[in-house]
Amino acid sequence: MIRDSALAVSGLLTERLGGPSVKPYQPAGLWKEMRNDAYEQDQGADLYRRSLYVYRKRSVPPPGLNAFDAPDRETSCVRRQRTNTPLKALVTLNDPTYVEAARALAQRLLTESVSAAASSKVRIARAFRLTLARDPKPPEIDALLRLLHRQQALYAQNNDAAVKLLSIGESPRNERLDIAEHAAWTVVANVLLNMDEFLSKE
Amino acid sequence: MTNEILLTRRALFGQSARGIGAIALASLMQPESVRAAALRSGKGGALGGPHFAPRAKRVIYLFQSGGPSQMELFDYKPSLEKVHGSELPDSIRQGQRVTAMTAEQSSFPCVSSIFRFAQHGACGRWISELLPHTAGIVDKICVIKTVNTEAINHDPAITYINTGSQQPGKASLGSWLSYGIGSESQNLPAYVVLISQGTGRPGGQPLFSRLWSNGFLPSRHQGVKFRSSSDPVLYLSNPPGLDGATRRATLDALSELNQLKAQTFADPEIETRIAQYEMAYRMQTSVPQLMDLRDEPEYIFDRYGPNSRQPGTYAANCLLARRLAESGVRFIQLFHRGWDQHGDLPKALSGQCSDVDQPSAALVRDLEERGMLDDTLIVWGGEFGRTVYCQGELTADNYGRDHHGRCFSIWLAGGGIRGGIDYGQTDDYCYNIVENPVHIHDLNATILHCLGIDHRRLTYRFQGLDERLTGVEEARVIERLVN
Repeated sequence: MIRDSALAVSGLLTERLGGPSVKPYQPAGLWKEMRNDAYEQDQGADLYRRSLYVYRKRSVPPPGLNAFDAPDRETSCVRRQRTNTPLKALVTLNDPTYVEAARALAQRLLTESVSAAASSKVRIARAFRLTLARDPKPPEIDALLRLLHRQQALYAQNNDAAVKLLSIGESPRNERLDIAEHAAWTVVANVLLNMDEFLSKE
Repeated sequence: MTNEILLTRRALFGQSARGIGAIALASLMQPESVRAAALRSGKGGALGGPHFAPRAKRVIYLFQSGGPSQMELFDYKPSLEKVHGSELPDSIRQGQRVTAMTAEQSSFPCVSSIFRFAQHGACGRWISELLPHTAGIVDKICVIKTVNTEAINHDPAITYINTGSQQPGKASLGSWLSYGIGSESQNLPAYVVLISQGTGRPGGQPLFSRLWSNGFLPSRHQGVKFRSSSDPVLYLSNPPGLDGATRRATLDALSELNQLKAQTFADPEIETRIAQYEMAYRMQTSVPQLMDLRDEPEYIFDRYGPNSRQPGTYAANCLLARRLAESGVRFIQLFHRGWDQHGDLPKALSGQCSDVDQPSAALVRDLEERGMLDDTLIVWGGEFGRTVYCQGELTADNYGRDHHGRCFSIWLAGGGIRGGIDYGQTDDYCYNIVENPVHIHDLNATILHCLGIDHRRLTYRFQGLDERLTGVEEARVIERLVN
């Protein structure tokens, strides 16, 4: 659900129904160290299909889903776990799946349905609508604006870092966007995709 | 339209949270808030402390995956020389079920070990020439020769000894400890797993994540695999282009947003979330520091052997195990693959032993020098042993052995275990137990005992049953092993 939501709000989600399983991003060597066979990652639209379609190897479950207590398919699951661990935080902060989703979400905020000249506040409001289905409160806007301004200054000074961040994930980025601006918003989107309110079903 | 509905529902919740809803919610969440506090303090086992004074505070389990041959390593059988090449008598086999790999063999010739044994230490224990370094610590270890299991194949056997059941789905030993007596570290998980590949049989039996699974226990008790690659814990590193200072800034913003929510909803689970993000941040520093062996002096690498400089080897993992123990990790489990010598045993087993002999002994000595052996229990062993009869062709210098669960050898050290003793006797064929059997449930009960836990009282209610590691049949603590 969390991965699906991140893909959906970022606009990356492939909505096709049915078909064979897909193999999205996974850290290199995970299968190898446990059982000597190689994981061949898919490309293109198959990277962004719902987690329902993700290939399951029971002995080495998909790490991002495993961290979030996806049932292991070893035994029937009568009750889903409700837990909260630092490993989950690492997944949604650093897994390329979520970093790419943040980049795509940032791109959406910078291009879609708001005018190019729209203020940062308007974009943050749009981001809240997309991720949390509500409007932000003034202190929430303030917190994100402070982060945005910090990152805008940082990436304006350091275009290399911006390019590195924007190069994560296989979907192409919109090259018409200003690199520093896009990277700064990617960092803001990374925060939004990690808010408790985004991760929890209330 | 969906958004509108959500918004309304959330708005409603937001308002009621300020009134009677807040009180109801807060009391519903009480156990979680206790948990949040426990997480922050880094402790918090379900038992609230051990049942009695523990001898060991932590365990390092050196798991030898595949089934090391007891006849080649610890269970010296000069009696086999006389029957070498002759058929295994029916009186010994007693209709024992054998695996599909040898069930079709027309002949079951006994094999005497090709390796020499000698007596070592003050205790005078016989140890194989394959384990010269282990021979140097014989007075510190206790060898159990009569561990036994019903399982005869890897998957059920390794699941059995690690989780107390041949069927998947139960909680592993390390998860039970994390659940029962909690963690001593605020920067690291309570249960860490390290994996290495054996040179004796590359591409040997696979491992499964269920071996360190939490099963029915809450998933924060699952073993966390530390890897030798650039990211020792999955997704530990910040993405390229996002530096440490930026990560701090994002977590500050995130914490501010989550705090605002927590103030509105009085939901302690949000506090837990904030605490876990901070723990993740601390791990980003503490884990790489821990995995970086460059601060170890030269003599330590010499002691653990040349492989200890190469990340991902058993030797490097032994050194890491010591560092994890020093950092307060409760249960550190190494898995070394490749102990499955169906064929080419003499060569393959030599490889396996040279992988693990020196580092295992070094770990015992290293812990002793640091004054940590007394409260660190070390377990060395696999999921079963091997058959006295040959699998495949028996030649002058080559043979193989199939799986054997009726008796196998493991050793224990530190953590209250009496050094220099043997426990249990097998028959002249090293096939059946003659005296003092130790079922794997008994072994697990004894491990828990060393940690101050009564295995009958470490339970978890799941699907109407009080589950426990040692299962339903009565398991015994082997008191004689413990000081």
